[in-house]
Amino acid sequence: MPEKLDDDMQKLMSDITEMANLSKGMLVDSVRALKDLDGDLANEIISRKDRLYEYDDRIEERALKMLTLYSPMASDLRRIATVFKMITYLTRIGRYGYDISKITTHLKGQPHVKRLIDIPRMAGIVAGMIDDVIHAFHTGDLNRISDLTERDNIVDETRYSIFRECLTYMMEDPSTITRCTNYIMIARYLERCGDHACKIGEKVHYMITGERIEIT
Amino acid sequence: MPGKEPKEASIDLKGVNIFYGSNHAVKDVSMRIKHRKVTAFIGPSGCGKSTLLRALNRMNDEIDGCKMTGSIFMNGVDILGRKVDPVSLRTKVGMVFQKPNPFPKSIYDNVAYGPRIHGIRKKSALDCIVEKSLRDAALWEEVGDRLGESAIGLSGGQQQRLCIARALAVDPEMILMDEPCSALDPIATSKIEDLIFELKKSYTVVIVTHNMQQAARVSDDTGFMYLGELIEFGPTKQIFQRPKQKLTENYITGRFG
Repeated sequence: MPEKLDDDMQKLMSDITEMANLSKGMLVDSVRALKDLDGDLANEIISRKDRLYEYDDRIEERALKMLTLYSPMASDLRRIATVFKMITYLTRIGRYGYDISKITTHLKGQPHVKRLIDIPRMAGIVAGMIDDVIHAFHTGDLNRISDLTERDNIVDETRYSIFRECLTYMMEDPSTITRCTNYIMIARYLERCGDHACKIGEKVHYMITGERIEIT
Repeated sequence: MPGKEPKEASIDLKGVNIFYGSNHAVKDVSMRIKHRKVTAFIGPSGCGKSTLLRALNRMNDEIDGCKMTGSIFMNGVDILGRKVDPVSLRTKVGMVFQKPNPFPKSIYDNVAYGPRIHGIRKKSALDCIVEKSLRDAALWEEVGDRLGESAIGLSGGQQQRLCIARALAVDPEMILMDEPCSALDPIATSKIEDLIFELKKSYTVVIVTHNMQQAARVSDDTGFMYLGELIEFGPTKQIFQRPKQKLTENYITGRFG
């Protein structure tokens, strides 16, 4: 029985890797499409949404089946419980990539107000956070997620700085209002993705140690 | 269920060792079984959990070559002491076994058996005990109108509840259950589990089970035993969600040996 459980657990974990890659890819690529005003890429990202939802359903089904078949306990149970939560967070992250891509398609090639620096930087930090929580999920090594709070603080501060910068642009030139409002929303999306990465970090920490922590 | 006054707090085991000849079956077990809670013992076959359970009502006395050391304090008295009469101890500590073992008598006589031995002869008193015990064992609704029928005609699950009623009839403080559901189907099992939930309002329950889900469902505290040692003992939630010992983790996740 444990061998069968271990096999299914491996499949569940590799599904999570694939879903995390898809979800993070949607976010990172959406920011690249935004930066380059690449409507084709944005549309391609939009089309990935169905696959994201398929992963969400498939992994949930697999995890439910494992609960039914094996009545897992202790670390097995914690891992499956973590998976149930992770897929929701990963779906949200991918979904924000979808939302950012939608904005890019609406921009229809209008130039940016200025060269985008902070938004891609935020996306880079968030992508690193997602990578590290997924790494911890697979390896049980908490080292790479020990500084999530600090990284999330940088993400939060950057979002606020984008907000203030956009206010200045909008006051100077009302024709930038639509674009700047979009930047503010996108910064907000990225900040939420950072929060989701932190929540995954909390769940993974519980999975590994059995202790609950709060990453704020 | 009419509430009885709490009689005494927990049962304390101190350095309990049990030997079958040269086989050291239970090794230096110390623990506290909480009053009116359900305590479960889990562990692989031969780990000593049933032996430890049987020590709680001195059933091991019946086994040749069995020797016990240490103390088990119940109501301030060491029940392993020589002055303790095992027969009267067993009225305080009832036991239910793996396979239902009703007497080949009527349902009524099965339940009235213990009280009669203890000298209760009055029909009205016996009627009262039989009804209360069968109600407490969640069997009255099913057999209340056919108490004169043979107990052997009952289903396995009903027989097991009859055995519980029989144990309750002598007004025990504690009920020991050794794999009480292993011979029962899932429906009968769930009835017994519901019953255990009810029983702990008035009795201290100790259960040995191989079914870990059952231990997780019904017990408040769980002890994991291995090779005669109590490896880990604590709140059931902790044992099944985040055990402290690697051995416990391996056992409950099925990665043993």
